[in-house]
Amino acid sequence: MNEILKIAWRNLWRNKRRTIITASSIFFALFFAISMRSFQLGTYDHMIRQAIESFSGYLQVQDTEYADDPSIDNAFSASPTLLASLRTNPNVAVVVPRVESFALASTGTLSKGVLVAGIDPEQEKALSNPALKLVRYRLSPASLKTIRTLPNVSTSLIDLLESMKGASFTSKETLQADLSLKVADSVLLNNLCRVCAVPGSYLKTSDQGVLLSDRLSNYLHIDVGDTVVLMGQGYHGTSAAGTYPVRGIVKMPAPELDNKLIYMSLDQASAFFGLDGRLTSIAINLRNTDRMKETQAELNRLLEKEKTVVVKNWEEINPTLKQQIQGDNKSGVIFLFVLYVIIFFGIFGTVQMMLSERQREFGMMVSIGMKRGKLATILTAEMIFIGLIGSLTGMLATVPLIILGYLYPVKLTGEMARIYMDYGFDPIMPMAWFDSYFYLQGGIIFFMVLLASYLPVLSILKLDPIKALHGQ
Amino acid sequence: MKRPSCLPILLALFFSVSIYAQDATEIVRKADAKFNGEQSSYSEMNMTIIRPKYQRNISFKGWATKGGKALTVITAPAKEKGQSFLKSGSNLWNWNPTIQRLIKLPPSMMSQGWMGSDFTNDDILKESSFVKDYRHKLLGEETVQGIRCYKIELTPLENTAVVWGKLILWISTDDYLEMKSNFFDEDGYLVKTHLSSEIKSFDNRRLPSVIEIIPADEPENKTKVTITAMRFNESYSEDVFTQQNMKRVK
Repeated sequence: MNEILKIAWRNLWRNKRRTIITASSIFFALFFAISMRSFQLGTYDHMIRQAIESFSGYLQVQDTEYADDPSIDNAFSASPTLLASLRTNPNVAVVVPRVESFALASTGTLSKGVLVAGIDPEQEKALSNPALKLVRYRLSPASLKTIRTLPNVSTSLIDLLESMKGASFTSKETLQADLSLKVADSVLLNNLCRVCAVPGSYLKTSDQGVLLSDRLSNYLHIDVGDTVVLMGQGYHGTSAAGTYPVRGIVKMPAPELDNKLIYMSLDQASAFFGLDGRLTSIAINLRNTDRMKETQAELNRLLEKEKTVVVKNWEEINPTLKQQIQGDNKSGVIFLFVLYVIIFFGIFGTVQMMLSERQREFGMMVSIGMKRGKLATILTAEMIFIGLIGSLTGMLATVPLIILGYLYPVKLTGEMARIYMDYGFDPIMPMAWFDSYFYLQGGIIFFMVLLASYLPVLSILKLDPIKALHGQ
Repeated sequence: MKRPSCLPILLALFFSVSIYAQDATEIVRKADAKFNGEQSSYSEMNMTIIRPKYQRNISFKGWATKGGKALTVITAPAKEKGQSFLKSGSNLWNWNPTIQRLIKLPPSMMSQGWMGSDFTNDDILKESSFVKDYRHKLLGEETVQGIRCYKIELTPLENTAVVWGKLILWISTDDYLEMKSNFFDEDGYLVKTHLSSEIKSFDNRRLPSVIEIIPADEPENKTKVTITAMRFNESYSEDVFTQQNMKRVK
């Protein structure tokens, strides 16, 4: 056996170019399959995290009828002991009480339907953390005018700022990154920040004011310090109406929320909707998201005596996102399958070519007494070697790409970015971290190499040395 | 011998039909005047909104004139108190004291419930046009809750802004009281029923004091309006039906 492996290995390097061509066809196949899959899975993961982890939570406690009829009438009263008992589960990381319902927001002659989210300002920092999303700087037309008068502002920067008119930033770092300013430009950066600063502040516990999402504030033309009028229907048909000063603007990563979200303190929302302390949901984030279903079952057992409430997971709360991902995954799998077919015939062609090139050699070997079986074994070993070389180098080559793509996601621009944002997602494409998919792709491609060499190797067993020597 | 002409009989039939038709319009007009007053009306009412999960009470009072102007102000519960509604021609305005805003209710909100009840905003706006906007046809007589009633079908006239496809009213033969009404949509499906009962005397006028509104597709939902006081044909100054007064009225 050892001898066979040795011969096979030497055979490979007898004609280096031939081996490298075959191995590189495998290398590229694997490289593309893995990076494509990594982009897909990374994007889904990002979508889930953006929509679920940063707002609705992996699990939610709701009234039993809330899922069918998500109206404020299906609110429930939650005792502090209920919240505390949820926290006792080891897999539960965050538990935050919420009031969510719809209302009409208006200022002057403009009005828009909005999602009012009543939150506990302190506890919410552990989940959607609006404090971190507060808009600190904005390129308003007025601030742009002031920037023009600043010293040391290049015309190219002015043009860039002009193209980003109205954009808002949550920190100095994002402003710096988006303008691609260097550390040496710190004086300029500080000047820019001073000019563009937005005064906003976060909500205090039982604050009388509200936080408005960025796009909504743009639509309604209101800013920090202005007043927004909210109208709607409260608990059990009471009319809900009130005027609220805007404390700050928050930039929600999901455009769908950014278009319509208003944060209010829990006490204020309760008074607005006449809820008398009731909640519409309790959002829960988990430590280990793979155990979501198990934790859901555990919590449901815990709440069994509460009859009126139930624990739902994000797939039940947001079936649209689930279906969106499923549908996209299906098309991704089909695309991958097409890629596999192309790869297979690519490899098959190269292997076939490589072996037919060596027909005379095989004919010679058989005619001087080499057993056909042994020859086939050597060839199989050769193919395994090539397969291993190709797939291992292919996998290795994707490692830096995946690390890079995971840490610094690809930012989409133009039309593609618009499509993503229309669907309510950030226009970025991160790659998934190493997981089963990585090894699975390697395995699949390696298996295809074996499959591609099966027929050619089989033909060795029926080799006619005379014909082979004549090259027929 | 001359054969008797059938013309007189036909003529008689023709006139009787037309008299009958005129009669139906007259009945609706009388019923309308009875409830809304010949010149004006003032009313105090309690409304109970009944839902499978809860009940809610709202009290309000209102002034209305024959000219199509009406002002309604909520008097209870405390959270809603002071909200007023002004109907002027075909516009409906809402004043909300909590937000200090005067809002014109857009056409898109016409089919929505008034104050969360089964009353639609359109009911409040269109109530008085039963006489003018419909063609009336007497279908016969029926007994509703022990009271002999005319059964009258109302079909909307062309070029009128009416949301209903057809109405059937039951109006009592002796007092011209609207005892029951069925509202149908354009496809002929029953949308809701108004049912009147407990006839009492208000300002020397016998009227049903309880009106129930029962939506056909949600039989568990119901709105019950109880009239607690009513006065008729008082004269109101024009200032009553103004946006300024909406903010003052209590």
